[in-house]
Amino acid sequence: MPYLGSDEAVRELKRVLANPHVQADRLRYRGAVLRAVRLMARGADVSPLFPELLRARAAPDPAQKRLAQLYVGAHARGQPELALLAVNTLRTDCAHPSPLLRGLALRGLCALRVPGIQEYIRQPLLNGLRDKASYVRRVAVLGCAKMQSLQGDSEVDGALVNELYSLLRDPDPIVVVNCLRALEEILRQEGGVVINKPIAHHLLNRMADLDQWGQSEVLAFLLRYTPRSDEELFNILNLLDGYLKSSSPSVVMAATKLFLVLASEYPHVQTDVLVRVKGPLLAACTSESRELCFTALCHVRQILGSLPGHFSSHYKKFFCSYSEPHYIKCQKMEVLCELVNDENVQQVLEELKGYCTDVSVELAQGAIFAIGSIARTYTEQCVGILTELLGLKQEHITSAVVQAFRDLVWLCPQCTEAVCQALPSCEEIVQDSEGKQALVWLLGVHGEKVPNAPYVLEDFVENVKSETFPAVKMELLTSLVRLFLSRPAECQDMLGRLLYYCIEEETDMAVRDRGLFYYRLLQAGVEEVKRVLCSPKSDPSLGLLEDQAERPVNTWASDFNTLAPIYGKARWAVITADWAAEPRCARSPSAIPSASRAVTASSSEPLISEGNKEVFEVHPDSSSHTLIPYAHLSAEQFEKTWMSLDVSCKQALPWHGAAHPDTLQTALQVVHIQTIAMSKAGAQPWKAYLSAQDDAGCLFLVELLLEMENSEMQVLVKQSEARAEALQSFLVVLRTVMGTVVGLRS
Amino acid sequence: MIHSLFLINCSGDIFLEKHWKSVVSQSVCDYFFEAQEKAVDVENVPPVISTPHHYLISIYRDKIFFVSVIQTEVPPLFVIEFLHRVADTFQDYFGECSETAIKDNVVIVYELLEEMLDNGFPLATESNILKELIKPPTILRSVVNSITGSSNVGETLPTGQLSNIPWRRAGVKYTNNEAYFDVIEEIDAIIDKSGSTVFAEIQGVIDSCIKLSGMPDLSLSFMNPRLLDDVSFHPCIRFKRWESERVLSFIPPDGNFRLISYRVSSQNLVAIPVYVKHMISFKENSSSGRFDVTIGPKQNMGKTVEGVVMTVHMPKAVLNMNLTASQGSYTFDPVTKVLTWDVGKITPQKLPNLKGIVNLQSGAPKPEENPSLNIQFKIQQLAISGLKVNRLDMYGEKYKPFKGVKYLTKAGKFQVRT
Repeated sequence: MPYLGSDEAVRELKRVLANPHVQADRLRYRGAVLRAVRLMARGADVSPLFPELLRARAAPDPAQKRLAQLYVGAHARGQPELALLAVNTLRTDCAHPSPLLRGLALRGLCALRVPGIQEYIRQPLLNGLRDKASYVRRVAVLGCAKMQSLQGDSEVDGALVNELYSLLRDPDPIVVVNCLRALEEILRQEGGVVINKPIAHHLLNRMADLDQWGQSEVLAFLLRYTPRSDEELFNILNLLDGYLKSSSPSVVMAATKLFLVLASEYPHVQTDVLVRVKGPLLAACTSESRELCFTALCHVRQILGSLPGHFSSHYKKFFCSYSEPHYIKCQKMEVLCELVNDENVQQVLEELKGYCTDVSVELAQGAIFAIGSIARTYTEQCVGILTELLGLKQEHITSAVVQAFRDLVWLCPQCTEAVCQALPSCEEIVQDSEGKQALVWLLGVHGEKVPNAPYVLEDFVENVKSETFPAVKMELLTSLVRLFLSRPAECQDMLGRLLYYCIEEETDMAVRDRGLFYYRLLQAGVEEVKRVLCSPKSDPSLGLLEDQAERPVNTWASDFNTLAPIYGKARWAVITADWAAEPRCARSPSAIPSASRAVTASSSEPLISEGNKEVFEVHPDSSSHTLIPYAHLSAEQFEKTWMSLDVSCKQALPWHGAAHPDTLQTALQVVHIQTIAMSKAGAQPWKAYLSAQDDAGCLFLVELLLEMENSEMQVLVKQSEARAEALQSFLVVLRTVMGTVVGLRS
Repeated sequence: MIHSLFLINCSGDIFLEKHWKSVVSQSVCDYFFEAQEKAVDVENVPPVISTPHHYLISIYRDKIFFVSVIQTEVPPLFVIEFLHRVADTFQDYFGECSETAIKDNVVIVYELLEEMLDNGFPLATESNILKELIKPPTILRSVVNSITGSSNVGETLPTGQLSNIPWRRAGVKYTNNEAYFDVIEEIDAIIDKSGSTVFAEIQGVIDSCIKLSGMPDLSLSFMNPRLLDDVSFHPCIRFKRWESERVLSFIPPDGNFRLISYRVSSQNLVAIPVYVKHMISFKENSSSGRFDVTIGPKQNMGKTVEGVVMTVHMPKAVLNMNLTASQGSYTFDPVTKVLTWDVGKITPQKLPNLKGIVNLQSGAPKPEENPSLNIQFKIQQLAISGLKVNRLDMYGEKYKPFKGVKYLTKAGKFQVRT
């Protein structure tokens, strides 16, 4: 926001700050600096004051130093030459007797963020790491991470990393956590900080001293450690038991995740843990903070996916109260749908029925759909409620009810009769596209059970010219043809009129084509139409598919306490895929590079460090089996050979997250496996075709198929000559590569 | 972790921003405004929004949105909890967490944010420690400051940071040694039309104010500890001791803090201290309706129910209301359609009653749904769950402290459906 008269004020302030009399008076000087910072906070352009405030930073008054530093930190980027002047003052302050000022100066140095600053801050930082005041060490440790980010991609300083690792033994708990944070940032390229047994146990022992933020971060870091034996595993779990009951929800969640992941082979332990955190989770769900409440509800839904009965006895906690925001109410309704059982169904339905008349259209429709989904199990009661709602004759309610009915008759054919009786008179109320489509579909498919179906559809045909939604017109065409098959006498005339209208007068091409299509189909004879159009009217088996069997806890344990439960797994995959794909687009314009291009494209990428390359090469050498480099195969040749061969081996390898074509391709290149074609990063499902030839002339063709839902990579191998030991050693190589790529990423 | 923080008021102005790493442009908030527009009502903005390069995690407190910008995957609860802590700290420092308070104290706000986070990681969040680093503003102090030339910035390192026990500073000294405990319980309930309880729960906390010298080791026991269903503890409490003996044993932090929070949810244990008799009806085809509400005490263990306030969101079609209150005063806001009745104390001899005529817009259809009544009340010297502190013992120090326990019951989300 521009601040009126700021230019004038800044000029005035500049004069005051430069005035030696003011500088002599501690109070007045500080007052002037305070005014400058206030001006800055209001959004005025105070950059002309930079030199004066630099001088103010050098004055002995600690309070003034702090104020001036707020300013200098914010404006240093704009004036790099001047900012370098500040370095001297700050470096002097780094040796100040007061630890508070030392820390402040160190933080100020790291905040300058101007090019070339690293050489000046390195020494003070190293001194800071060995300072006797913990406050300074805390600042210095994080300062190391800041310095690394200033340097960009340059080499990681090994000595510094070692120093930080040794500071993990610092007596001050916050220094310990800061070390972890800093190492994580510095070593990001190499997969972050390494947690080995001594570090893990050291951290476990320090847990009690940490504040809640430290505890939840350390719990997250401990995820990287895999205990060697069951005994060790249970010792760790016992140590951490108390954190499941912590007063801070974030610690509880982090602890829960750690328990779930560590106990991945002990389903009963996982269940026990979920029982134990039920209390804290429910408390978070009814917490005063609506955001906490929302996040907790998302996690409750996640748990319900695996343990459907888990929260059933607490169903009343998920009743909405009047003043909650919509996003919480929507979540609560979905939770209610999932925990319904024989005992509480009556109360839950009563409650949901209350929400159906909510003022907000979105909520009312949400409640109706919720009842619709409960109806798959408790059909009779729900259809009764839905039919009752039709009596209100409200537009949005009727529309949602009709849509719920449509979905229901498809899954539960037994309720068709009841639905058909409820349908008449809806047509006058439903106005929106979705509702109309659902109504027209129902009348078409179950028209023989609704006495006045042809007359209702006739009204639609009469008004087809003023119909605004093309989708409704298409649905109307299909429905009317279907109804014509079951009740020809009543429909023939209007079907003719509708087809005439669609073909001769309609401007929307899709509708016109659909009209023409049915016209030609009808010309082929009624028998033919019946054969094409009369598919089954319901498919209860689909219902079983939809409320899928309980998903094991392990499928989502690694997503627990991340953002994934908030978005839902499917949407989360899309979001993260976008992220991964974005920086890549610039580099590889063609997403499916040919095998020859791959060599040049990948040679420049530092994705695999030297250390990892060795791993690849050891394996081909250690076995008697070698793959020949540069065994080129064109896409056509590949396709021909692929078709002619039988599958010799099929395997599934574990895989997390999206595929990274570039990394994988480079890795495969190293062991002389050629890439023929690959899908784009984030494609669903993701596929790749590979080929390789060994020294005996045996050709291997591979198909990789990644399906995100079950986090597995399906590998299909075909072989030109059936030799079992060659196949085995090839598989070993392939598995090593894939294993390493997965390891690199996670 | 937390890259930047933006504070946004209800009219959509970004009035404060703070960056801990590189500067993130304000334009990132456009995604937030977009979501706000979509949500119609400001309060309905979802707390997590994803944008092409960042996540925005926000909380809404006292008409201010605290929007944090996140660049890497983080546990959402962690960030939400931290943002609440920031808001709590402002509340603690300025008495209220409002836009004017923040703008008036903008320099302190920046200093606080600088100390609370470094490089995006939470650093010092304990109010005791922060207050030693940065002194809260008071009128007296600002007068003293301007005379003596001292400032509200601490000049020495807070000793709390050097103590072995992270939540207690070393070398505490008081002339009067005191320990006070407030047992505060809130009843959340939904009562249906006929007066039966749909849902009821007690959320309780014990807030403490401990001013004891040295390193006292306290143990607090209850008459009926089995009452408590779910308890969460301040980190100072020895969990094993609670599990085995049901005694709270701890070395307390210095000053004010929350000792435990708990829930009592088995329904038969939750007493409902008030009842409401209501008659709200709208006549078909006429532009008026009747409104008649009486509040009376029930299960209040012989204590007086006071501070009773009833708020009702009337349906949109209501134009105005002509009511008479037998006690207290009422207001009706014709714009927001909120009826507020400030009742005060309930005396069982003469029950407070509010009745009269509701005028509807002419021609408007009869409202579908009757409004629900939200009720607030307070009962002094009573913990409605029946929880009672048995005794407090102190070990490790020689002096005799002064001890006190207070009880208070309040209505939380107390809703009566009609």
